[in-house]
Amino acid sequence: MQFDDQGRVNKSKKRAVFNQPEAKNRVELFRHLPQYEHGSQLTDLESKFLELDSMHPAVYKVGVQYLAGDVTGGNARCIAMLRAFQEVINDYSTPPGKTLVRDLTAKISSYVSFLIECRPLSMSMGNAIRFQKSRIAKLPLTLSETEAKAALCNDIDRFINEKIILADKVIVRHAATKVRDGDVLLTYGSSCVVEMILLYAHELGKQFRVVVVDSRPKHEGQALLRRLLAKGLSCTYTHINAVSYIMHEVTRVFLGASSVLSNGTTYSRVGTACVAMVAHAFRVPVLICCEAYKFHERVQLDSICSNELGDSNDIARVPGRPDVNSMDNRTNEKNLQFLNLMYDATPSEYVSMIITDYGMIPPTSVPVIVREYRREYLLI
Amino acid sequence: EVPKALLPVANRPVLSYVLEQLELSNIKDLIVVVEGADAALRVGGWISAAYVDRLHVEVATVPEDVGTAGALRAIAHHLTAKDVLVVSGDLVSDVPPGAVTAAHRRHDAVVTAMICSVPVSGLSEAGSSGAKDKTKKPGRYNIIGMDPTKQFLLHIATGAELEKDTRIRKSILRAVGQMDIRADLMDAHMYAFNRSVLQEVLDQKDKFQSLKQDVLPYLVRSQLKSEILINGAPQGQQAKENGNDKVSYRILANASTPSFHELYALGPNGSAPVRRTHKCCVYIASNSKYCVRLNSIQAFMDINRDVIGEANHLSGYNFSAQNNIIHPSAELGSKTTVGPHCMLGEGSQMGDKCSVKRSVIGRHCRIGSNVKVVNSVVMNHVTIGDGCSIQGSVICSNAQLQERVALKDCQVGQGYVVSAGCEYKGESLARKEK
Repeated sequence: MQFDDQGRVNKSKKRAVFNQPEAKNRVELFRHLPQYEHGSQLTDLESKFLELDSMHPAVYKVGVQYLAGDVTGGNARCIAMLRAFQEVINDYSTPPGKTLVRDLTAKISSYVSFLIECRPLSMSMGNAIRFQKSRIAKLPLTLSETEAKAALCNDIDRFINEKIILADKVIVRHAATKVRDGDVLLTYGSSCVVEMILLYAHELGKQFRVVVVDSRPKHEGQALLRRLLAKGLSCTYTHINAVSYIMHEVTRVFLGASSVLSNGTTYSRVGTACVAMVAHAFRVPVLICCEAYKFHERVQLDSICSNELGDSNDIARVPGRPDVNSMDNRTNEKNLQFLNLMYDATPSEYVSMIITDYGMIPPTSVPVIVREYRREYLLI
Repeated sequence: EVPKALLPVANRPVLSYVLEQLELSNIKDLIVVVEGADAALRVGGWISAAYVDRLHVEVATVPEDVGTAGALRAIAHHLTAKDVLVVSGDLVSDVPPGAVTAAHRRHDAVVTAMICSVPVSGLSEAGSSGAKDKTKKPGRYNIIGMDPTKQFLLHIATGAELEKDTRIRKSILRAVGQMDIRADLMDAHMYAFNRSVLQEVLDQKDKFQSLKQDVLPYLVRSQLKSEILINGAPQGQQAKENGNDKVSYRILANASTPSFHELYALGPNGSAPVRRTHKCCVYIASNSKYCVRLNSIQAFMDINRDVIGEANHLSGYNFSAQNNIIHPSAELGSKTTVGPHCMLGEGSQMGDKCSVKRSVIGRHCRIGSNVKVVNSVVMNHVTIGDGCSIQGSVICSNAQLQERVALKDCQVGQGYVVSAGCEYKGESLARKEK
């Protein structure tokens, strides 16, 4: 939904589960994206915890975790959501006079719109939900309720195991062959697949060092750095402003992705495009590691038409430095707007190879995978 | 005597505020635990009269003096849910219990306590009257230690046991790095517990009597050296689960910012968790919400005043134009003034030339003429003679004050007769038990 359409925004507000005041001072170019005042959202949602009969507590918990930022990262959000849906299915009982298929689909839709209110869905989550709904729709009518529920829970388990966990293992095996002794690997932000690759290559005994590039406001690289250091890898830590200074030492760049689109564009954390571009200028190969369930048939040419806006106070403040406060309380000035983008789009010419669970493919082969293999899991 | 839970605040038993708050939050199945058999009977009778269709309440009786922990042990077999919300019956607040439970679930905590700021007039010692103390003793106070994000509870000590120094666990301080200690907050007695953990602690530690003094500090102290088994806790039990669950658990764990519990639990090189920890969370009631416990006479008067005054959304009554509540069947004499923030119950009669300021008067009272009632609480069926002056006092039901009595900061017990012309300051008058 485009958020600059006032009529539809008002309609969706009436159906909303909890009240979110919109941010007042928004950048004109991004008016079509939702942006809310972040201060009171969490307290509003928490105070409604027990009042909503229609919401399953597991889904509520996941929503609160998304809103508070406790769970981030495409794979983690997807797994948390699917586990919550498993609990929903286990606790579900068909009301009299309704069919399981239609009623459960309606329930899942309402939970999904609640999760969207807490935080907009990532594309991996969108694909997982579509898979889930298609499995519910394909349930044979002859099954009893308990059998149907068991079958659905099994399907969710299979999805998580095959599409996420096993896919990660395959990606890690493929990518580890690309790491040679003496390599200097660069990674940006914190991607769980890239972390697994680095740890696996280290276990295999390859000698390499890692450069972790990080950026404000989230500093996601710091958690990755801590875990790598704990395993004994030698790391360098720098911020994105220095990426062109460090790129001359680097031999390979491994990046994660939130999604890969049909024209080969990689949609991932803001700053990835910058790192890929600098690497391309220095002729360093860029490898994107992404599971196939995150592929999407959409085509996107820029980072503007579809993105996510974060809290503008995050860029106004520096955590741990209350004395750096010249930007504080300026969010409502007329001449000044804060823009905190969360995602960006990396064009396919900066990407050398995409490593997926179907193998190592060039970015131009993404529509082939979407066409051939996406139909497959709908038929299992 | 009326049991404490049924003491009237703005002419409604104090327990009704708790039940109403729970009803608003959609909690329909409650267990009310009362100490003492007659108190239980009266509470049960009142609840079934007032809430017969709206809530499903079970009243359980426990013998006196077992403490809150003992009370929970007695009803342990009734508890079946995954988490239990424990609320003290004398809490008057409009903080939604949903917020406490949401914080509890979000962190998968073992216990979540609600903390509010100490009410402005201060907690005075129960039973002592203000006039006798020349020096202002701080009385009871609490020390609460939290982490910088104000989500986790690191240390709690209540005033009764504080003498000169307080001891803080060094391991907790080292793990968290920075702890904020505050003395201006107090425990509001609304807790969310993980049921299996609560039952385990109550079974193992027989000597624990009170939730607030024993169980809660025990859980907070041992949060980094957990000795309790948490059902399905992944830490330390991971070897039993198969490989795929481990991976997905690790993905989820890596995705979130680790709290200091998880960091502490990791081995020396950040390897697999070697120590078991559990989380104690805290929910701080915001300043815009009203939250006070009825645990002293001073608090009783303050709550009465506040519920009619500032926090009048809690009382649920409609206020008249002069900002007070006068029941339609109350009769006022000529030239009688009832000021703002006052309440007159049904069937009460007031004589001529009376003045009532900031007070609560119960049902069926008979008040003579020329009476001044200021800042007081008068309960039901009280007879007050002419010319009395009552200030800052509590007069219980069925009491009788004869003419020209002047009371200041007194408490008159149930059924007591104050003889004519007496003046009392700061005293407790009660009928001697035979």
